[in-house]
Amino acid sequence: MIIDMHMHVDSASVGLDVSPETCVRAMDVAGVDRAAVMTLMDLRGADPSAMELIAEACEQYDDRLFGFIRLHPGHREQAHTFLRTAITELGFRGLKLHPVSTHAHPAGEETIDLIRAAGELGVPTLFHCGDEAFSTPLSIAPAAAACPDSTIILGHMGGYFHVDEAIDVAERYGNIILETSAMPYPHKIREAVARIGADRVVFGSDGPVSSPDLEREKIMVAGLTDEQTRLVLGGNAASLLGVSA
Amino acid sequence: MTIDGLSFVGVSRFGYQRTADEAIRALDAEGIGTAAVAPMHPHDGDFGRANRELAAAVRESAGRLVGIARVDPWDAELAVAQLTSAVTEDDAKAVFLHPAEEHFPINNPVARPIAERAASLGIPVLVATGHHCMSEAAQVARFAEWCPDTPVIMTNGGQLNISGMGQFDAQLALGSPNLYILSSGVYREDFLERMVARFGAERLLFGSFAPQYDVRYEHQRVLKVHVTDEQRELVLAGNAERLFGLPRRINS
Repeated sequence: MIIDMHMHVDSASVGLDVSPETCVRAMDVAGVDRAAVMTLMDLRGADPSAMELIAEACEQYDDRLFGFIRLHPGHREQAHTFLRTAITELGFRGLKLHPVSTHAHPAGEETIDLIRAAGELGVPTLFHCGDEAFSTPLSIAPAAAACPDSTIILGHMGGYFHVDEAIDVAERYGNIILETSAMPYPHKIREAVARIGADRVVFGSDGPVSSPDLEREKIMVAGLTDEQTRLVLGGNAASLLGVSA
Repeated sequence: MTIDGLSFVGVSRFGYQRTADEAIRALDAEGIGTAAVAPMHPHDGDFGRANRELAAAVRESAGRLVGIARVDPWDAELAVAQLTSAVTEDDAKAVFLHPAEEHFPINNPVARPIAERAASLGIPVLVATGHHCMSEAAQVARFAEWCPDTPVIMTNGGQLNISGMGQFDAQLALGSPNLYILSSGVYREDFLERMVARFGAERLLFGSFAPQYDVRYEHQRVLKVHVTDEQRELVLAGNAERLFGLPRRINS
């Protein structure tokens, strides 16, 4: 069972071909069975269309696509309402936060409230975690400290220049999981597994525009044992998404 | 036969190293014929010595390695002399500049004499690109204006942002006809495909940037890009042969 923990579905208006069909085609090429999908855009205020778009994609590809709701913490009560609706009524499996697009600091009060709410609903929070302000591992670490009962996934595990920092904060906070998409260092996946355990690293592609096929190859190049590979490619994600491995 | 357009040999003061033998073993493991190699940033900052040691390793490599000189523009006239010597005496095929490691903005006038000497020597310039404030694509495009007839090759597809936020600048930079991109570490594959479609396969070279990046994975990055066989041949070998002035099928 191979599960991609970071894929995107959105409308054509974003200027990229990220339809559900394209997403599933890319999964098929890569041999990916299931994927967590989220929009490229944050939910805008009281407009639920992006949530509905993901819900429809997951319904269309039942048991292959699992929704993450991408929210702007600044909308506060509205964001909490959307989160509850997405998880409890629409079957979403996680929360996505992109501090670069929302300009909401990961350690800000409104973000921490949302992460805690996700944890109380039993779903993880996936952060964009790269090299930009508001998104580095050390910017997200205070949120992990403030929300010990919530699982936080560092998407891209620090990008180009903050991968060592991502592994470091994951060592310090047991509720952090590292996700492998886009960052270009296969050997850092091996190092992360050695330092924090194979049960805390998950495969992601940032597809379908980024190639799940190539991103999967990164796991294969990383030099993991068969059991470690099984966990990283799908076993851990199955637990996080609450699906059978 | 594939040519790795840029990797490194030596011991870097920044904590990584690779011998020529290790470089060749990595080529063998991937079925790659040749690698263009540049020195690491040496502990003592003596790029003249680093270039000579690299040239010696290249001579002993039975054609598997091709030398690229590296200089620090802050060394001013010494850097120009080191570059000239590396090309005229040790057959270096290009010059590599790393604005982040040598700490100079690529569009700072301190780098201009290197651009002009590369032009007079008839060799391309490779620039470690995408580093904030030092080598953003727009800055490299400004540098390229100092040597308009000289190929300037930007590593990392011209940007280093995990959301691709520098891609538009990289695309704008490629509007300059003497700019090229290297495939190392590129986010994402569709960017490479778009650049090939828009600017031609002649503008993209395979390069691993090893040992910081992984040769096998970077090779796969190019093998999995959706281009025609003819375009892929240019990316994997033809462009490096043309730009570095290598004999056709040097490794066959």
